[in-house]
Amino acid sequence: MKRLAFAYHPDYLLHAPPFEHPESPERLLAIVERLRTAGLLDRLIPVTPDYAAEEDILAVHGREYLEKLESACRRGDLTLDAEDTYLNRHSYNVALLSAGGAVAGSKAVAEGAADRAFCAIRPPGHHAGREAGMGFCLMNNVAVAAKYLQARHGVGKVFIVDWDVHHGNGTQSVFLEDPSVFFFSVHEHPTFLYPGTGRRWEIGKGKGEGTTLNAPMAPGAGDDEYRLTFEEMLTPAVERFRPEIILVSAGFDAHRDDPLADIQLSDEGFRFLTRRVAELSDAYCGGRMVAVLEGGYEIGSLTSCIEIHIRELLGE
Amino acid sequence: MQRNIVTVAPSASLFEARDRMREGNVRQIPVTGGDGRLAGILSDRDIRGAVLPGGLVPGFSAEDAEKFLKDTPVGKVMTRKVITATLSDTLEDAIVLMHDFKVNALPVVDRDGKVVGIISRTNVLEAFIDVLGIGEVSSRIEVIVPDKPGTLAQLAAIISSFHVNITSVLATGHVEAGKRANFFRIATLNVAPIKKAIEEAGFEILDPSRYTL
Repeated sequence: MKRLAFAYHPDYLLHAPPFEHPESPERLLAIVERLRTAGLLDRLIPVTPDYAAEEDILAVHGREYLEKLESACRRGDLTLDAEDTYLNRHSYNVALLSAGGAVAGSKAVAEGAADRAFCAIRPPGHHAGREAGMGFCLMNNVAVAAKYLQARHGVGKVFIVDWDVHHGNGTQSVFLEDPSVFFFSVHEHPTFLYPGTGRRWEIGKGKGEGTTLNAPMAPGAGDDEYRLTFEEMLTPAVERFRPEIILVSAGFDAHRDDPLADIQLSDEGFRFLTRRVAELSDAYCGGRMVAVLEGGYEIGSLTSCIEIHIRELLGE
Repeated sequence: MQRNIVTVAPSASLFEARDRMREGNVRQIPVTGGDGRLAGILSDRDIRGAVLPGGLVPGFSAEDAEKFLKDTPVGKVMTRKVITATLSDTLEDAIVLMHDFKVNALPVVDRDGKVVGIISRTNVLEAFIDVLGIGEVSSRIEVIVPDKPGTLAQLAAIISSFHVNITSVLATGHVEAGKRANFFRIATLNVAPIKKAIEEAGFEILDPSRYTL
């Protein structure tokens, strides 16, 4: 059995929408409750996140954007730009704490306190670019974690797997020209789904050419198509890149019950995704793997898939 | 159109024309006289076609080809009858011209016949990318509507009730008679409630998993 760190903070619930919105505190409440009733919570190593340090955030985001975000929260703005990305007066601090959750999980794994980590954090992060939050995301949690591991723990090469149903445009933009971080995203085809990027020829730029890989999936694709993509694209990419750790932008909105997209993964599909990435981390990076929560908006499938995800990470 | 254009004189050699095309990364180059008026157009295919007969002669070397390019003036090889656009033509005119006359680029001339720009297929594709809103952060929804006035306004009203910007709209015919297809790109991730409201208003949302990529 693997030692699995679980990063969570009750203050994650303070970032709450001022109007009806799918990215709500209830998502995390339901996840924690599910893990408790399944008897899993006691088997995890609790990790209490702190606010991400300024220099760790500044490795990903510009100071100008952070100031804009902070003052918008202080002013009481309801949204960052459009209603997708809402704010309340806690949002800036909760975003720092969310990135801090990804950092805390990464720290536990990097220092050997745990083999793997799951970070139950929100707001999500993978759409947030250097100078702009969007698509429910304020700060790019997984990108902050990757930079943190490199700066503070001497990690050289980081591999990010993003299986949220939406393309991780923010993460891609942060690492587009960075050959030390491989970004792999599998998502619904950009013609049909937000944000409209992640086409198959987006493979990185300059020195980073070849360390970005996108797998756009046709609407209606499901377990079989994802399995094939993991075998034919993800596995060889990890084998070639030889990362020291794998981070996962773990969204659960590619589930067939999720209302925001057209991908048809089943619970068992998510079991396969988790298991395959765990196997790759065992084979190539000493088992080091950190998953951070991104999307997933249908409470039933979100909680059942996360239970499966946790069980797989524990290596039951 | 592109206003910074590469041109060449009819008296220049093919060698020079090829160099200019390479430098400007273009495949067609307007040929202009001393007065700036359009005299013809030269494409990379014209140059290849001019060299080709020599290539069939036994013993014709790369040096021979280079000498041929240096000795042959552009005016001898260029196409004299050029399909052009005028400054008052619209983008639609340009698209139809390029399609109907099967040309890859249209020099744009002013009233005096002076070349002031060029429109290439790439420019047309750029315009389409822009008009279709591709690359703007957005979601796409496809709605099948009855072919009658007012439906687009109804749909726009529903979308606007969610305080969401429409970044592009395309309304076209549909395979089924009496129906049309409306495509919207909207600046939100949260499409589910909008789709639901559109369906509740009696419209059909096209399920993207039912068409093949």
